[in-house]
Amino acid sequence: MDLFSHSWLPFIYLYGLGGILFVAGIFITLKAGSFDLKRSSHKKWMWILMFGFVWYLTMHALMTWAALGIISPYVVLYTLLILVVIFIIVTLNFKKIVRA
Amino acid sequence: MQTFHSIGTTTDWIVMVVYFIAIMLFGSYFSRYTKNTSDFFFGGRRFSWWLITMSIVATGVGSHSFVKYSAKGFEHGISSTMTYLNDWFFIAFFMFGWLPIIVYSKVRSIPEYFEKRFSPSSRFLATILLLLYMIGYIGIGFLTLGKAVIPMLPPEFVLFGMTIPITLMGAIIVIAIITGIYITYGGQTAVIFTDLIQGFILLFAGLLLFFFGITYLGGFDVFWNLLPTAWKLPMADFNQPSNFNFVGIFWQDAIAGSIGFLFMNQGLIMRFMACKNVNEGRKAAAINILFVLPISAIVVGNAGWIGKAISITSPEVISPSVSPDQIFVVVANIIASPGMFGFIMAALTAALMSTVDTLINATAAIYINDVHRPIRHFLKKTSSSVRENDRNELLAARYASIAVTILGVLAVLAFKNFPTVYEAHGYFHSTLTPPLVVGIFLGVFWKRFTASAVITTFVGGVALMILGARYPGILIAPFDHGIEMNVDHPYSYIRALYNTLVCSGVAVAAALTTRLQLNFVSKIRSNPNGKMIMNGLLAATILLFAVVLFGIMGITLQVVAAIGVIILIPLTVTYFVRYDEETNTLGLTAGTIKIARLQFKGSEPNDAEGNTVLVNWKLVENDENMMRFSTTDMAEMKANVGDLVYISDKRKWFGGLKSAHSVYGEPHQEEGIVYLTADLVEAGLFAKDKLLRAEKEM
Repeated sequence: MDLFSHSWLPFIYLYGLGGILFVAGIFITLKAGSFDLKRSSHKKWMWILMFGFVWYLTMHALMTWAALGIISPYVVLYTLLILVVIFIIVTLNFKKIVRA
Repeated sequence: MQTFHSIGTTTDWIVMVVYFIAIMLFGSYFSRYTKNTSDFFFGGRRFSWWLITMSIVATGVGSHSFVKYSAKGFEHGISSTMTYLNDWFFIAFFMFGWLPIIVYSKVRSIPEYFEKRFSPSSRFLATILLLLYMIGYIGIGFLTLGKAVIPMLPPEFVLFGMTIPITLMGAIIVIAIITGIYITYGGQTAVIFTDLIQGFILLFAGLLLFFFGITYLGGFDVFWNLLPTAWKLPMADFNQPSNFNFVGIFWQDAIAGSIGFLFMNQGLIMRFMACKNVNEGRKAAAINILFVLPISAIVVGNAGWIGKAISITSPEVISPSVSPDQIFVVVANIIASPGMFGFIMAALTAALMSTVDTLINATAAIYINDVHRPIRHFLKKTSSSVRENDRNELLAARYASIAVTILGVLAVLAFKNFPTVYEAHGYFHSTLTPPLVVGIFLGVFWKRFTASAVITTFVGGVALMILGARYPGILIAPFDHGIEMNVDHPYSYIRALYNTLVCSGVAVAAALTTRLQLNFVSKIRSNPNGKMIMNGLLAATILLFAVVLFGIMGITLQVVAAIGVIILIPLTVTYFVRYDEETNTLGLTAGTIKIARLQFKGSEPNDAEGNTVLVNWKLVENDENMMRFSTTDMAEMKANVGDLVYISDKRKWFGGLKSAHSVYGEPHQEEGIVYLTADLVEAGLFAKDKLLRAEKEM
C-alpha cells in the first residue's frame, strides 16, 4: 500500500508552506522593528521560536517513522522528552550561554 | 448508525451535580473581584503567564474538542488531532505584531482596532462579521454540549402523566439557561479562575481516560499493534476522503483557523489582555502552543483511538457503527468505573460550559464596546459620572450576555444537520474567518492597506465568497487539490483556501490602486455634480451587491456584479470616508510598535533590565496615585520617576490576582518600603503585613 500521500506528502506540504509562513513572520517582524534582536529578551524569543519549529518538525517526523514501523513509538517519547529538557536548560540559562 | 441513551449510573449523576456545584461556588468566590467593566471583561490586566496558560487550556480544549476529535479519532485514527500541532507557524506574527498592538493601543475589542486603524465604517462592518463569528462559535459550543449530554439522558421522561421526548434542541436550551446564569453573575475574573482549575482537571481526566483505555486493552504495545498503519500516522491522507483530508484541513485550520483563533477570537484575546504585560502574554502563548497543545491532542482524541482499538478486538462491545459524535461518552462509560465516568463527564461538560462562557463574555464585551457605547455616545446619553456609566454598562453587559446566549442557541440550527461537529466547525471556520483574518493581518503588517481596501475586502470579498458557496463546482473546484466534492456539504474545508485567496486578492488589488482611486475622487470632487455622481455610484454598488446576495440572474452576470462591487466600493469609500495613512497607522502597525509603546507609557520607554524587589507597603495620602519606592530599590529595578511599575503579592501562587499597575513617583529614603495610596491598595487587594514584589514594566 502506497502511504506517501498519507505520510510524507502532508509533511512536506505542512513544513514547506508552513515554513515559508514561519520565516516570513520572523522576517516581517524583524524588518518592522517590533522584533528587535538588539534586546536580550528578544534574542531569547528567537531561540524559543526556532526551537518551536524544530520541536514540531521533529515530532511529526518521528511520529511518521513510528507509524511506518521504522522506529519504536517509545523512541518518539524519549526523544521529545530529551528536547524538553534541552529547552528548559537553555531557556533558563540563556543569558549565561549567550555570554559564554 | 448506532446511538445511545441513558448511559451512566445514579452515582455518576451525583458526582456530576457535586462537581458542577463546586465549580460554580469556586467561580462565585472570584466574582467578588469584579468591580467594574474592566474587571468583568479583562480581569484588570494583572495575571501571570501560567494562570493564563492553564485557563486557555479549558477554553481551547473544552471547546467542542473532546467530542469532535474523538469522533474523528474513531473514524480516522491519530491524525484526528493534527490540527492541534500546526499553530506555531503564525506565532511570530502574533507575539511581535498583534499582541503588542492590542495591548499598547489599549483597544478593548477587535472592531475598535478597525476604527482606530481605518475608520468608523470599518468598525461597523467588523462588528457585524465578528458578532456572526462569535455567535456561530457559541452555537457550535452548545451543539457539542447537547451531543455530549444526550447519550446520558433517557430518550424521554414523564411529567404529570405526559411523556416528553428529550431532543437535542431541548437539552441545548436547558444547558444554555444554566450557562447564561453563571456567566451573567461571574465575569472574566471568575471565568479565568474557573478555567484555571478546569484546565488542570481536563488534562487529568483526559490522560486518566487514556490510561484506563490502555489498561483495558492490555497495555500500550497491544493498543499500538491493533491500529492499522494508516491510523497511526499523525496526518490525514493528502486529499481524501472529502470529509477528512489533510490539505483541506490545513487551509481551514492551520491557516484560517490558527489566524482566526490567535488574531480574532475575542475570548482568547481577552485572556492575553488579562496578562500583566506583553511579555507574559508571549510566554502564555508559547507554553500553550509548544507543550500544552500536544498533551491536549492526546487528551481530546484518545477516546476515539481507544474506541477504534476496542471495536477491532471486541466489536460486540463497541460496534464500528457507533455514532462518531457519541464515541467519547460510550468509551468513557466502558472503561471507567461508575463515579469515575461521572467525573470525566462532569469535567467535559463543565469545560465546554467554560468555553461557551468565555465566548459569551467576549461577545458581550464586543456589544458593550462596539454597539452600546457608540450608540449612547451618539445619543449623548453618557453620564458625567464614571461610576454611573460603569454601573450602566455592567448592567447592559449582563443583559447582553443573556441575549447572546439566546442567539447562540438559535445558531445551533445552522450546524445541527452536519454529520459531525468536526465538519460543522470546519465549515464554519472556512466560511466566516477569511474576511476578518485578511483585514486584521494586512492592517497590522501592511502600512499601505487603507480604509477603502479593508471595506472592499469585507464587502467585495464576501460577494465572491457568496458566489463560491453558490457555485462550488465552478469556483472552488480549481483550488480543490483533487478533493472530491461532496454534494451535500461541498468543500467544507478547502473552501477556506478559495475564501482566503479571494479576500486577499481583493484586499491587495484595492490597496495597490489607491493612487487611481484618489485621482478619480479628486476629479469627482472638482465636478459641481460630484456628490450626486457618488450617491449614484453608491446606489449602483448596493444594487450590484443585491444581485450577488440574492442570486439574481445567471452566474456570469453575478460574477460581473461582484467585480462591479469590487471596483465601485473603493471609489465610494475614498470619497465618503476620511483616512490619513500617517495618522491612522501610528502605533497600530507592526512597523510603529515603538510609537505604540511610547503612547502607552506617555514618555520614552525605559528598557534597562533591572531586578525585582521585595517590599513592605505603607499607606500614604497622595493625590497622584503613584507608587513611591526608596532610592535604593529604584536603582535595583533600574527605574526612573515616571516609569511604569507592576506590584503584586509576593505569593506567586496568586498568579497576579492581588496586584496593581502604577507609575513610579519621587523616591524616598525608607529602604524596603513602598508608599501606596488607598486606591492602589484597594485595586491590588493587598493584605496587611504581606510582602509585595515590585518590577519595572517599562
